[in-house]
Amino acid sequence: MIGSKTKKTEKIGKIVFMAAAIICVIAVAAIFIFMLVKSFPAFAKIGFFDFVFGDNWSPDRLDTYQDAMLSGSYGIFKMIVGTLAATLGSIIFGGILGYFTAVFIVFYCPKRLKKVFSSTVNLLAGIPSVVYGFFGIVFLLPLLSNLAPNNGSGLLATCLILGIMIMPTVVSLSKTSLEAVPSCYYEGSLALGSTHSQAVFGTVIRAARSGITASLVLGIGRALGETMAVVMVAGNSVAYPKSLFNSFRVLTANIVMEMSYAGEVQLGSLVATGVVLLVFVLIVNLIFGLISKKAIASEVSGKGLFAKIYNSERLANNKVLVKIKDAISVFKSKIKTASLGAGASVVAGVLSGAILLLVIGFVLVKGVPSLISNPHLLFGKYEFDSEQITILPAIVTTLMVVALSLLIAVPVGVCTAIFLNEYSKKNNVFVKIIRGAIDLLNGVPSIVYGLFGMITFVALIGGTSSVLSGSLTISIMLLPTIVRSTEESLKSVQDSLREGSFALGAGKLRTIFKIVLPSALPGITSAIILAMGRVISESAPFIYTAGSVISAIPQGYLDSNATLAVALYRLSGEGWYINEAYGTAVVLVVIVIGLNLLAEVIAGRINKKLQGEK
Amino acid sequence: MANTKEISRYGQSISVKNANLWYGDFHALKDVSVEIPEKQVTAFIGPSGCGKSTFLKCFNRMNDLVENCKIEGTFLVGDTDIYGKIDVNELRKNVGMVFQKPNPFPMSVYDNIAYGPRTFGIRKRAELDRIVEKSLRQAAMWDELKDRLNKSALGLSGGQQQRLCIARSLAAEPKILLMDEPTSALDPISTGKIEELIDELKQDVTIVIVTHNMQQATRIADKTAFFLLGELIEYGNTDDIFTSPKDERTERYITGRFG
Repeated sequence: MIGSKTKKTEKIGKIVFMAAAIICVIAVAAIFIFMLVKSFPAFAKIGFFDFVFGDNWSPDRLDTYQDAMLSGSYGIFKMIVGTLAATLGSIIFGGILGYFTAVFIVFYCPKRLKKVFSSTVNLLAGIPSVVYGFFGIVFLLPLLSNLAPNNGSGLLATCLILGIMIMPTVVSLSKTSLEAVPSCYYEGSLALGSTHSQAVFGTVIRAARSGITASLVLGIGRALGETMAVVMVAGNSVAYPKSLFNSFRVLTANIVMEMSYAGEVQLGSLVATGVVLLVFVLIVNLIFGLISKKAIASEVSGKGLFAKIYNSERLANNKVLVKIKDAISVFKSKIKTASLGAGASVVAGVLSGAILLLVIGFVLVKGVPSLISNPHLLFGKYEFDSEQITILPAIVTTLMVVALSLLIAVPVGVCTAIFLNEYSKKNNVFVKIIRGAIDLLNGVPSIVYGLFGMITFVALIGGTSSVLSGSLTISIMLLPTIVRSTEESLKSVQDSLREGSFALGAGKLRTIFKIVLPSALPGITSAIILAMGRVISESAPFIYTAGSVISAIPQGYLDSNATLAVALYRLSGEGWYINEAYGTAVVLVVIVIGLNLLAEVIAGRINKKLQGEK
Repeated sequence: MANTKEISRYGQSISVKNANLWYGDFHALKDVSVEIPEKQVTAFIGPSGCGKSTFLKCFNRMNDLVENCKIEGTFLVGDTDIYGKIDVNELRKNVGMVFQKPNPFPMSVYDNIAYGPRTFGIRKRAELDRIVEKSLRQAAMWDELKDRLNKSALGLSGGQQQRLCIARSLAAEPKILLMDEPTSALDPISTGKIEELIDELKQDVTIVIVTHNMQQATRIADKTAFFLLGELIEYGNTDDIFTSPKDERTERYITGRFG
């Protein structure tokens, strides 16, 4: 009865999981090979040094690799400086705001508001970047133009918008590390007669500071790779960011501005721009990886990289540093850091809450009336010559992309994770390579996927953009997140359950499907819902793969059309359809918020069921 | 039902000759030979890390799950060489195991018990009902649990969870039951209940139990084996081991002078 038949299914199961892992590896490899192969000739022709440090960017479409002399110039230094300046500014604004908001949530927020507050901050992280960009265009730029010589676009607007975007990342990670500090520190400090604020700022935050640093590093990574929001408020002229208000360009913007019409050398240099960007992101991720390797807990107990730096004796004995430290502590005692910090936290908490209300509220208040007064926007039929915009085709396109990309990425991703976690040995070199590659893929900025999709899928499938190409592109982009989060949930299933199942004579497949997967389901489900949210929010990978024009409802996967997020980008850029843009933004925000809430509810419900509540 | 010819080939005694086991470079079991009689309780005692749990896990090949684990020697269950050409899943059906920490699956009480039978193809509700009731009665839990069969097993107390795990093992109708410190995470009352249960079960099943608690060994075991640093130091009737140990190391351990 058992025996050969079971053995056969076991074998087939293993082959299926392995095949998924191999597909995953091929996808990962394709991206890297693509980037190398496409960028290498450009680096070789232009010269690596001239490319990175040259500050003249004036590409000529007609340049080819066969030409003896290039007639255009390809130096991206201005964009590198732009990217670094925007990242620095946003991390200063978003980092400080996020840090104090985290302190506020953990230590100063009234208990009743705490949960609501932290989940709304998480919501901010899920709002599409085009919505932030749109908010920048319709709210921030007009506001700033009162101060600025130009329309308000430039470094300041970019840093503010990016800062708001990375703030939730900083908050959630800082919050985790603050909560990981053992309560005995706080209690010990109180027992010595400290006030609440003195205990918080004197002991708890000191213990958590390396975890907080790690959260800032992660925020930097996010700021570096951001495309659409920056494109919408930076101005995008090829120039150094000389003042707070002059139009400048970042690396990601460089790619998205020029990829659709680029010539041969130009395209190569755009991929090369992506490579430079990727190197920055990798450096940041490497630093983060070093810190977060043993997670924040080890940071708190003083074993991580930053903990080592903070606790290094050589640094502690350095005379200059000691003097600086003394000066700082004298200054601190004069200004009463504790009460100042407490004040700052409360201000930051209120400010973050206000920003959240402002972004969502502004979009809703302006957008809902335009949706109601113009039903054609949501339900209208597209007509070629009409002045009346309808986003129904964009909604349908988005749904089509969501369906197909999840259909591809979820099975492949989940099976890969099962293979990695359930079938492979821990120290297998091959598996280590797969994991490393997947981590790398996670750091690739979304616009680079767009570039990849445009050059491979679009070229292979008919030469024009199509919903199919867009779906394929985004599914590769989803793979790393799905694999990673599925693996996390599989890892959290205790080994004792697996052993229990094996000890009853169950085989591997039965154990996986009956014991491991059901226990990991909450995690996997919320990962899938968040992936859905990501497909809906992304715009950079779609513009030149799925399409950038709102036209008729696509009749099949080979038709081309804009997704909702892309539609918002187009509508807000053109200036004539601002009311329609508001309506589109409302639809996007409502869908994404809905999905986030759904993820929370589903995870909570399944968890409850598993915990055995009635 | 499940008693086809193929399955009944497993006997109820265990015979081990010259067992050696390595975890990587670490030599965890050294030349262990032992004869475990059927339908009796055999206890493995010894200090932590002496290899008794490792040895126990050889009997149902749970060590297969451990990476870099190498096993030599002959392991017979009845007359069957369990490291020969056999179906491991079928072996584990016949040689059940209860773990140190209760590990109920995150599903209902009923589904927990029915997990083993379902694994081996029993699908009829009436048949499953019968097995669930029988196993719970065997584990003396039927009256406690009959009204909450459809509630999650995770809502039970620690002691109930562990007895549920025993019932779950019994549902597969094992010939031998391996117990790896089954009471170390439990309070004295739950421990007492499980010891009573073991005493009942040995009428039908061979039981091998690893324990840190020497009083427990004297209370429940017919045979006792003392392990130290991967070696089997002494093996015999429990009374003899505890009243007149032949080896000085056994005596020092049972009188509490080391370990």
